[in-house]
Amino acid sequence: MSLHTFQSCLAQLIVDPDYRDRVRALGNDALAASLTERERARLCRIAADSGLDINRTLHKGFRLGKLRAMLPLTCQLLGAARLAREVSAFWVECPPSSFYFLPEALEFCKFLAGRKLRVKYLDEVTAYERATLEIEKAGAVPPPQRVRFRHDPRILLAVLASGRRPRAVPHRPSVAICARDGVGRIQWRLV
Amino acid sequence: MRSLPKLGVGLAYQAPLRSLIERAGDDLQFVEIVPDILWTDLGPEEHPRYIDEQEGVEYLRQVRRSRPVVPHSIGLSIGTAHYFNRDHIGQIRRWWDWLQFPWHSDHFAYHLAEHQGRQVNVGITVPLPRDRETLELIVPRIDEVVRQIPVPFLLENNVYYFDIPDAEMDEATFLNTLCEESGCGLLLDLHNVYVNGRNHGFDPQALIARINLEHVGEIHVAGGMELDGFYLDAHSGAVPDPVWKLLEWTLPRCPNIGGVVFEIFGSWFDSLGEDRVRQDLRRMKEIWRQSLGNVQVPGLISQRSTGAA
Repeated sequence: MSLHTFQSCLAQLIVDPDYRDRVRALGNDALAASLTERERARLCRIAADSGLDINRTLHKGFRLGKLRAMLPLTCQLLGAARLAREVSAFWVECPPSSFYFLPEALEFCKFLAGRKLRVKYLDEVTAYERATLEIEKAGAVPPPQRVRFRHDPRILLAVLASGRRPRAVPHRPSVAICARDGVGRIQWRLV
Repeated sequence: MRSLPKLGVGLAYQAPLRSLIERAGDDLQFVEIVPDILWTDLGPEEHPRYIDEQEGVEYLRQVRRSRPVVPHSIGLSIGTAHYFNRDHIGQIRRWWDWLQFPWHSDHFAYHLAEHQGRQVNVGITVPLPRDRETLELIVPRIDEVVRQIPVPFLLENNVYYFDIPDAEMDEATFLNTLCEESGCGLLLDLHNVYVNGRNHGFDPQALIARINLEHVGEIHVAGGMELDGFYLDAHSGAVPDPVWKLLEWTLPRCPNIGGVVFEIFGSWFDSLGEDRVRQDLRRMKEIWRQSLGNVQVPGLISQRSTGAA
């Protein structure tokens, strides 16, 4: 049980800078009572170690990398500054629970939908990327995913994919359907 | 540990390396894969829990026709105290059924913890206390792995940017005892040893000299980078000279080794360039050739052979 608590505290030191700061400031008083004396001493010394901050940096880099890899168009549309703000808020609300890319990206999509941000095209772009992820999550025989676009998806998505920010994309209501083809590849078609 | 099949030089798979893998010819004898990048774990409450990425799996099937593919997993978190993910072992076993790898490996660390009743996944390999308690946790788990997957299992020495103080064992004793008591082999990551030595101020070769190299089944080499006063195991470049020296010293002393693997993240491949990666692979191959003709069973440490399954 004690090693369990020690690992929990050590993980929190890495993922939660507020907890790290409390341990740095308060020492033993910030630590769980069920820890042994040696474990408390270890955690206090680790909290003061600059190597812990490197772990924090690597942890953040890994978490952010998952979103950039799985939701490249959403990240591009948000831009660096807003992405940083949203990711920071996401990390506070949703602590890291999975090692894997797909659950983290889907959770971020859900988080963004709940934020109701006033970012033009965001709901369309996020729905598009989320649909692809839902297909991947469903495995070999997923039900098709439908995404409603208000703006021309070919222009909107191409601009983002080229690393630019879209401006004045023509209004063109359409529905895009995502499904796996006969050999398992994910394919989109406009209807 | 029993001697592994002598595969030679391997490359850690990343999608941007596909063209290199396809054109590598004799520069490359096998491919290593972090299998977790080609599946998703949806969690214990989902069935099926693991979803394979179909296109990636199909690519591996093609690679397997010309070269062995060896999994180096990161998802087991074998050192997690509160939970042991037996479903992960089942997933590796399913992959063994179609991939028929000669050995497999994971990390001697943990990344999954529990906090206030929920899972916390740190996403990086967190060091374990070098204590008897840690070994008592892990040794029976290795036995479970070996009973389910009928090929040798290796654990990789960890990189750490902070050390857990007041350890009961030094690192070499910890690794030796792990292998002796469990029968698992060691995946000796020379770049990790170099990184730890550089950040914590010890001589990497002196540490390696105290490891029973009969346990080594595989070696990793890689390059890194500086950040905020630390040198990182970033897999971001060519193999640095001190790691080449460690490889030249270590490899001839590993009688049971099956392969040496170069690790580079795909995002760094373009900046390093295919020519340089191939140059490093050829240098590894030459060291491998020289070493195989000159295998020196270490006389430094004489300990009982445990014989992995």
